[in-house]
Amino acid sequence: MLYDIFIDPFVQMYEMPDFFLQVLWEGFVAGILYALIALGFVLIFKASGVFNFAQGIMVVFAGLTLVGLNENGVPAYLALLLTIAVMGVLAYGVERVVMRPLVNQPEIILLMATIGLTYFLIGFGEFVFGGEPKQMIAEQLGLPTGSTAFEMGERGLIILQHIDIAAAVIAVVMVAALGVFFNKTRIGRALRAVADDHQAALSVGISLNQIWAIVWFAAGLVALATGIMWGARSDVSFALEIVAFKALPVLILGGFTSIPGAIVGGLIIGFGEKIGELYWGGLVGGGIESWLAYIIALIFLLFRPQGLFGERIIERI
Amino acid sequence: MNAFALDTTTAPSDETVKAERELLLRVDNVSLSFGGVKAITNISFDIQKGEIRAIIGPNGAGKTSMLNVINGFYHPQEGTITWQGQVRRKMKPYEAASQGIARTFQNVALFKGMTTLDNIMSGRSLKMHRNFFWQMLWRGPAEKEEIEHRRKVEDIIDFLEIQAIRKTPVGRLSYGLQKRVELGRALAMEPDLLLLDEPMAGMNLEEKEDMSRFILDVNQEFGTTIALIEHDMGVVMDLSDRVVVLDYGKKIADGPPEEVQANQDVIDAYLGVSH
Amino acid sequence: MFYREAGQFKTSYKADQALLPILQDRIGLAVILLTAFVLIPVFANDFFLTSIMIPFLVFALAAIGLNVLTGFCGQLSLGTGAFMGVGAYAAYKLTSIFPDANVILMVLLSGVFSAAIGAVFGLPSLRIKGLYLAVTTLAAQFFLEWCFIRIPWLYNYNASGAIEIPRREVFGVIVSGAEATPIARYFVVLSITAGIAYLMANVLRGRIGRSWMMIRDMDIAAELMGIRPLQTKLMAFAVSSFICGVAGAMMVFFWLNAAEPSSYSIRLSFQILFMVILGGLGSLAGSFLGAAFIWILPVILKFVPGLMGIDMAAETVEHATFMIVGALIIFFLIVEPHGFARLWQIGKQKLRVWPFPY
Repeated sequence: MLYDIFIDPFVQMYEMPDFFLQVLWEGFVAGILYALIALGFVLIFKASGVFNFAQGIMVVFAGLTLVGLNENGVPAYLALLLTIAVMGVLAYGVERVVMRPLVNQPEIILLMATIGLTYFLIGFGEFVFGGEPKQMIAEQLGLPTGSTAFEMGERGLIILQHIDIAAAVIAVVMVAALGVFFNKTRIGRALRAVADDHQAALSVGISLNQIWAIVWFAAGLVALATGIMWGARSDVSFALEIVAFKALPVLILGGFTSIPGAIVGGLIIGFGEKIGELYWGGLVGGGIESWLAYIIALIFLLFRPQGLFGERIIERI
Repeated sequence: MNAFALDTTTAPSDETVKAERELLLRVDNVSLSFGGVKAITNISFDIQKGEIRAIIGPNGAGKTSMLNVINGFYHPQEGTITWQGQVRRKMKPYEAASQGIARTFQNVALFKGMTTLDNIMSGRSLKMHRNFFWQMLWRGPAEKEEIEHRRKVEDIIDFLEIQAIRKTPVGRLSYGLQKRVELGRALAMEPDLLLLDEPMAGMNLEEKEDMSRFILDVNQEFGTTIALIEHDMGVVMDLSDRVVVLDYGKKIADGPPEEVQANQDVIDAYLGVSH
Repeated sequence: MFYREAGQFKTSYKADQALLPILQDRIGLAVILLTAFVLIPVFANDFFLTSIMIPFLVFALAAIGLNVLTGFCGQLSLGTGAFMGVGAYAAYKLTSIFPDANVILMVLLSGVFSAAIGAVFGLPSLRIKGLYLAVTTLAAQFFLEWCFIRIPWLYNYNASGAIEIPRREVFGVIVSGAEATPIARYFVVLSITAGIAYLMANVLRGRIGRSWMMIRDMDIAAELMGIRPLQTKLMAFAVSSFICGVAGAMMVFFWLNAAEPSSYSIRLSFQILFMVILGGLGSLAGSFLGAAFIWILPVILKFVPGLMGIDMAAETVEHATFMIVGALIIFFLIVEPHGFARLWQIGKQKLRVWPFPY
């Protein structure tokens, strides 16, 4: 028993390095996708203090809109532009209908409102485009779909899906773009000001409403990119909702306001989950992927309640 | 103990007469820091039974941190605290509370969702013991206990003259009244030592007069020992028996109000000299 | 004018501390109890009992359970569904092991198991607060759901992986299993829910209820006043999970007859959370109002298109329902973030001064 837990998995890792590397790659890709969802959360949380539960659903909603439009005869690139427009309308609508009337409410009320939004988007998406899972139009969008196998001498080979590589590249580009946006532009500065203190930002003439609409739009774009990547690996359907919950442990690890934190947190969860499932999951009957992420986050939390990148909390009174 | 010897030699000579009064609390060479920031450096002082002890000093001098140390919320890295003759080990805030230390806060820390009555009743928590099953039944022991303590609480409400707002949620009260309810809540604990953190901050003259009267009454009628932080020098000089002055986390003076008032270091700290 | 307390003087603290100190409230409660225990059983048909009243009461109890934890003690939980599941599986195992025991007793006893598990998952709450705690309860949700699937012992190795409730009699009346009459189930569910609601009302107005609210409103101040945070929070977790467990057991025993792990999924957790938020955090009456709203609204929505003569596919109706419920949740949060309970209070205030608007 002890051998199975503490020694055997590592022996396997050593004996079959190709399999181990493959697992690592899978973990890396899953981690990137978790990180992308978490990124959307972070954007909104930074600027408004709202924990946006709907981020996961926005991913599906964006993907669904894109595929749905294409199914109805809209060319792929036009559908992409239209979907971006839809995300813009959604951002404006959310700011107008949800955020503005609820300003200054306690965080749990805002959280509830975004869960309400989640329900609304699920209902709306299925109402318009139907409930059955759909195929992502990766090829039409010009994304690579093939795969390459790398041989590792006599020790086997690993297979990399091109779409996964594209996902990783796009994620890096997006994070870099957001970094520039936050740090170098006027709007980015206003955004950081809002994140620090709403009232102070208002008093120096920054429009809260405008900033909120912008961050929700930015989060919508991140959601669209995530939706395309994720949809290309599996189906586009609201079953993704469950996966989207995993953004929560990712955020816990990385801290609610840190973009690098979201990336690192996503990778830790991605690696941890895949390795845990494939090397230890079998011992208890498998399927531990469904909760391992939360337990990992929980263990981290018990030692560092402020997250990996958060500053130590000094309680004052 | 080394710390003890050090302290008696540096204490002013007229203190020795007063030292015969029983000591309630004694702080020896306490230092507290957060990361690299030193909040309190090597402070020693004591509080005698039955006195009103003021802690004053400019903003950021470490006064509130000192109170936090006394009621176990912060744990000093160095130094000892002696409570009623016993050296205190590192303890949790609730243990300090059960030993008889009550406290009010600089920024009112009432339970916002509860009424005035419930807030003051919450001060009785430590003195109520009926368990969950009696509470569920309510009729009988739980109800009897509740009424018994309600009576005590009503005495406090009468004393503080807040009968009219008994059933008002505290969130709706004015700042001055909230401070008063907070005092009531601390009094409900029937403490041996009452720590008041700026009880008169932000009050108008009339409210200050009321609050001073309550503090003096609590001290003289109930014999409760009080340690208070206050910025209003008039109030401090009138109310307190002894004053300790902190600046940049260090003790710069300790003694009766008149003496402290004349101390050159204190005058410098308040008026500012180039360091 | 209709709701005036003038002339009702309280001469003792006992009278002032009564659950409902005002005469009109007592009359109101009497009317509700009369309706629930006499009028509904006499006049309601089976459909009304099975599809509306029984689930409503089950959910109301679950909402009370969550309200104890989130509304009164301030600890956000997203694991309600799983704790209800623990109650259901525990009651199922208990009735399989002790087939002759009183099934109502077994349902109540199952709460002890969910209380124990709830307390275990409440342990991290000492160090973790607010939204961070949500991840703990999510861990509970997904971990327990996984257990319901992966531990065949829990469902007696059924091929279907579901639990099916056997026929059980209490004092000669069949209360569970397919043959139990709606009326018998209704009385069992009503008695348990009303009973627990009354006992909780007592707990919440006493020392323990106050200590929970102290932790909720200002945990540091509570600790400085002698409240032990871990003990108090764990008690809230245990009591809350007990109630949720009983509700979960009632859900399968007296309503659904059979349940799968997916019956106790995160969807259920959210459903209960909505009831609590919309009903009003920290209000027992609100738990009932919220449960009524969230449960009954979709039932009504299902029939609206038919009544209006519009022919819609069942699937479309379901999607539309999702959309409308989501929109209404946002709407009510905007109208009154403190829930129906607060609306009710405002209404009472208006009645007090009626016909004057001030």
